Amino acid sequence: MPLQYSSFTQRLFRGRSTRITSEGVQFLLFTLAIGIAAINTGNNLFYLLLAMMLSLILISGIVAEHSLRRLEFHRHLPDHLTVNEPANATLVVKNGKSRFPSFSLRLFDISEGRELGQSLEIRQLLPGASRLLSYPLVASRRGRLQLDGIRVGTEFPFGLFMKRALYPIDETVIVCPELKPINERLLQGLLTAGPEQIVNRRGHGNDLYNLRLYQAGDDSRKIHWPTTARTSQLTVRETEAEDQRRAVVSVPTVAPVSHDALFEQAVSIAASIIRVLAQRGYILQLVVGSSHSVFGQGDRHFLELLRMLALCERHPPHAGSILSGNQPREPLDAQGGTMIVVQSWLGPDDIEPMHPTILIDGAVIAGASHAV
Amino acid sequence: MPFDQALRFASIWLAATSFIGLTLGAGLPGWLAALTGAALIVAFLRNGGSKSVEQFAMAPPISTAGWNLLVIAGFLGFWIDMLWVSDELLPAGIHFLMVLMIVKLFNLKIRRDYLHLYAISLVAILTSGSLTTDLWYLPIFSLYLFAGVWTLLLFQLTKHTEETGTLTPSAPMRAPLHQSAGHVTPQLFWLANGLALLTFSLTLAIFFAIPRVSAGFYQKGFGENIRTSGFSETVNLGEIGPIKRDPSVVMRVELSDGARREAGRLYLRGVAFDQYDGKTWTNRMNYRRTVSEDGTGSFVLRGSRSPAQTPLGETIRQNIILEPLDTPVLFAAPFIETVSGKFPSVQSDPTGAVYLPFPSSSRIEYSVLSRSTPVLPADLSPEPGRYPESFTRHFLQTPVQSERITVLAKDITQTQRTAYEKANAIQSFLIHNFRYSLDAPLAELDHPLEEFLFSRKTGYCEHYATAMVMLLRTVGIPARLVTGFLATEWNEYGNYYVVRQQDAHAWVEVHLPYSGWITMDPTPPSIENAPDVYPAWHALGRIMDTVRLQWSRFFVQYSAADQLAVVRELKAGSTSARNKAFDSMSALFSPVLAMFGGITKYAATGTIRPLVEVLAILLIGIALLLWLGIKRPWVKGMVGKRMTRNEEVIAQLYGRMVQHLAGEGIPKRTTTGPLEFVHLAQAKWNDANSAVASITELYCRTRFGHIPLTQEELSLAEDHLRHLMALDKP
Repeated sequence: MPLQYSSFTQRLFRGRSTRITSEGVQFLLFTLAIGIAAINTGNNLFYLLLAMMLSLILISGIVAEHSLRRLEFHRHLPDHLTVNEPANATLVVKNGKSRFPSFSLRLFDISEGRELGQSLEIRQLLPGASRLLSYPLVASRRGRLQLDGIRVGTEFPFGLFMKRALYPIDETVIVCPELKPINERLLQGLLTAGPEQIVNRRGHGNDLYNLRLYQAGDDSRKIHWPTTARTSQLTVRETEAEDQRRAVVSVPTVAPVSHDALFEQAVSIAASIIRVLAQRGYILQLVVGSSHSVFGQGDRHFLELLRMLALCERHPPHAGSILSGNQPREPLDAQGGTMIVVQSWLGPDDIEPMHPTILIDGAVIAGASHAV
Repeated sequence: MPFDQALRFASIWLAATSFIGLTLGAGLPGWLAALTGAALIVAFLRNGGSKSVEQFAMAPPISTAGWNLLVIAGFLGFWIDMLWVSDELLPAGIHFLMVLMIVKLFNLKIRRDYLHLYAISLVAILTSGSLTTDLWYLPIFSLYLFAGVWTLLLFQLTKHTEETGTLTPSAPMRAPLHQSAGHVTPQLFWLANGLALLTFSLTLAIFFAIPRVSAGFYQKGFGENIRTSGFSETVNLGEIGPIKRDPSVVMRVELSDGARREAGRLYLRGVAFDQYDGKTWTNRMNYRRTVSEDGTGSFVLRGSRSPAQTPLGETIRQNIILEPLDTPVLFAAPFIETVSGKFPSVQSDPTGAVYLPFPSSSRIEYSVLSRSTPVLPADLSPEPGRYPESFTRHFLQTPVQSERITVLAKDITQTQRTAYEKANAIQSFLIHNFRYSLDAPLAELDHPLEEFLFSRKTGYCEHYATAMVMLLRTVGIPARLVTGFLATEWNEYGNYYVVRQQDAHAWVEVHLPYSGWITMDPTPPSIENAPDVYPAWHALGRIMDTVRLQWSRFFVQYSAADQLAVVRELKAGSTSARNKAFDSMSALFSPVLAMFGGITKYAATGTIRPLVEVLAILLIGIALLLWLGIKRPWVKGMVGKRMTRNEEVIAQLYGRMVQHLAGEGIPKRTTTGPLEFVHLAQAKWNDANSAVASITELYCRTRFGHIPLTQEELSLAEDHLRHLMALDKP
C-alpha cells in the first residue's frame, strides 16, 4: 500500500519536489509582515506590494517548472567501477524546448533514492542546445550500482525555492572490489610459491626474445645501444618470460553476519592479489564459494575475475555447511599452480579475528594478516 | 555585461528607486536626501568603472569597524531624532533607514550585504506607500518591481560563484570580461524583462483579487488636508482672494449624462451667509440637523426651499470626488435634494448647506441629486412679496452704510417693476461697469464696499456678490451670499469637471416670492483666467488628471465593496458582467479613446497641431525606446569590440599557420573550408595534425561560434603555432 501511495504521489507531482532556500524563508517572512500590515491598515498600496511579492512566488514556481521541463539526458558510464576509485562518467543534457532556455540547473545522480556524489551545474542551456558534462563517479561498495536516474534541480529564477524533478534513466554498472597495494611479505610469499615453467614468450626474464624499434612509453633502460648505434634508430630489446606460473585464488563465501566487514576485506585482498599476479603473467583461476572460473590470463580474464568478486555474496553458515561452503566439495586441482585461499571466517571458533586469513598452498603466510 | 556587475547595477537601481519613493513621499530633509543621492551616484560610478571613483573605492577612507561605529552612531541619532528633533517615530525611522542605506551602499561586499540592502529598500518602498496615495507611486512601484525582478534573478545566477567566497566590488571591474562567471546574454535580457512584465500583470491580478478584510470606515489619512477658506460660519470680505491663486485640485465632478453643461459652468454650492456687518459675513442660521437616511442609503433633505407645490427645475445628478479639505461642507450643484455616499451621517442647516460630521481626512466620493430653481411666471408680475419678520431679519439685514449705496441701488432699479427685473438690473450694472481683478486689497479698509462701488470699481467675486446682496437688500429684495466653487474646466478625456482652489467663488441667491431662491452671479468674466495660448500642455494636464483619477479609483480606493460588486455582477449573469467589465474597461481606457476622439474633433476644427506635437513626441520616444531595446547598439558595440580583439589574435595565428603550411607545400584554396583543410593537412603532414587541428578549432570557435577565448587558450594556440614552425618539412 505505501508503495502504491508513493507511486500515486509521484505520478501526481510528476517527481517534483520543492524546498525553500534561506533567502526564500526571509522573503516569505517579509511577505507575511507586509500582509499583516496591509490587513491591519487597509492601505491599498500595501496590498499592491503584497501582490507583487505573491506574484514573485507564483512566477518562481512557474518559471522553475518551465526550466525543468523537456530536458533530455543521455548518460555514458564506464564498463566497470572500482570501489573508492573515481571513474569518468559523461552526461549529455539537451534542452528540448524550442523557445525557452533553462537556467541554473543542478544535476545529481540518483541511486536507491539518494543523491550520489556532488552536483553538476549548468548555468544556462539555450533552447535546442545540448551540453556534455564529464564527472567523476565514485562507488563506495562493490556489487551492482543501480542508477535510478538524474535529479535535476533549479533555484531559477529568484533563488527563493529549489525545485527538483526526477528524470528516470535506469542503468547498472558493476563495481569491483577495492584494489590496494599488497604487503611486501605477502608478495614475496606469493612469488616464491609454486613450480616454474619456462615458456617461449615475451616476459620479464633475462634471455633475449626480440629487438624492435623504440616506442613512446618504453623503458629507456631497455634500449639496445649497440643496435641503436648501428642502425641510427632507437631500438629496444624484449626479453623472454622466465617462467609461467599458475595460481588458484579461492575466496570462501560462508561467514556469519558479524564477519561481513571481514568478508569484504577478504574480497578486496583477493582482488588485489589477482591484480598483482595478473600483472606478472600468472595463469589464474578464481574460486568464489561454489563457483569458479577457468584458468586464463590477460586483461579480459582479469576483468572477468574482478567481476566474479564484485558480484559474490556472503552466505551465512548453517549446519553442515561450514566445510562445504568454505572449501570446495572436491579438492581443487591447482594444475601445478599455487593455491591461495583468502578466508574471512575459519569456523565457529573464529570469533573476533582482526584480518582475513591467507593460506598459500595450505600454509598460513606469516604477517599476511596485514596484507593490504 | 558580467553577472556580478549587472547585479550591482540592479541593486543600486533598486535602492535608488526606493530612495526616490521615500523622498517624494516623506519629504526627507535636504541634507539627508543629498547625502543618500550622492552615495547612490558614487556607488553607481564605482560599478561603472570610473577610474577616479574606483581609486576611492580601492582605498575607502573608513574601515569596516568605522562603518559599524557609524551604524551605532546612526542608531543613537535615531533615538535623539525621535525624542527631541522629529519627536515622532516614523520620521526618525525613515532618517535612520537612509543612514543604513548609505552605509550598505559603501559596503556591498558579501551576499549578506546585498540582502541587507534589499531589505532596506523594501522597507523604504513600504514606508513611501504608507505616506502617499499620489499617482507618482505607480511609476516608482513599477520601476521597483522591474529592479526587483532583475536583482533577484541576478542574485540567484551569481549564487554559486559567490558561495565559495566573497567578491570585492572592484575586482570584477578590473577583471577581463572573459574571466567573469557569466554574462547577461540577449536571451537573459529578454527573459528578465518578460518576467518583470509577467510579474507586473500577475501583481495587478492578485491585487484586485486579494480579499480586503480591513473594515475601515474612511481610508486612512495621508498628510494634511487641503486648506481652503470661505466655508466656515464667518467669512471676512476678501478671504477667498488668496486661494484664488492656488491651482490645487479640490474635487472632480462627473455628471450623470457624461456631458458638459450647456453653459460650460457648474456652480457647486457650499455655504450661504445672511448677515453682513460691513466687513464680515456670518451665517446666523448655522444650527444643523441630521439628515435622515432612506432605505436605499441616500440622505434626503426635507423641507422644500421652493414655495412651488411641485418641483419644476432641472435635475442634475452628480458624482463628486472630493479631496480632503479642512471643511466638513459637502459641495454640490444648487439645490441639493439627496446625497449618497459612505457616510455615517449627514447634516444640513436651514440655508441648504450640507455637512459631514467632521472634515474627512481622505478623498471621499459621493453622489448628489440637485434641482435648479426656474423663475416662475408669477414672479414676473409687479406684485411685491410679503415675508415674515423672521425671514426679513435674516435676508434684508444691512449694516450701517453710507447713503450713497441706497441712492445707487434706487438709481439702478428705479425703472424696473418686479423684483426679478431689479435683481437683473443690479447684476447687469455690476457686470458691465466694474472690472475683475484679484489685486484688490479692500479688506483692510474701513468701508470696503463703498470703496469698491464708488472708488476702485475693481474686485473679485466676493466684492461683487456682497455689493449685489447689499444693493438688493437696500431695495427690499431678500438675498444672501453663497460661497462655493464655479467649475469651468471640463476634462474631455475623463468627462468630468476639474475643480481647483482657484475656482472658489461667491455668488448671490435672490429670493423671489413664488420661485424661491434663484442663483445670480454679478461677477464679470475674469481676464486673468484666460486660457493659455498653448493648449497642448493643458490637454496633457487633463489626460494626466484623468489617469490620476483612475489611479485613485482603481487602486487607492479599491475596497471590499468594489470586490463584492464584481462578485455580485458575476453572479447576476454573464451578460451584465460582461457589460460591466466592458464599462470598467471603457472607463479605464476612456482617456485614450477620448484622446483619439479628441484628435478627430480637433482635426475637424483645425486645431490638431498641439496634440499632434505631443503625440508625435510620445510616439517617437516609444519608437526610440523599442528600437534601443531590440537593437541594443551599446551591447553590440561591446560584443563587437570584444569579439574583434579575440578574433584579431586568433585570426592572425590562423593566417600565419596557413601561410606556413603553404610554404611547406600544403596551400589552402579559397574554396577549402577550415575543417577540410585540417584533413588535407593531416593527409599530407601527419606530424603537424595536432597543432593544425587545435589552432583551427580555436579559430572556428571564435570566428563562427562567437565564443570568446581565454588568455590560456590564446597562449595554447601560440604554442601550437611555434611547435608547428619548429617541425621539419613533411
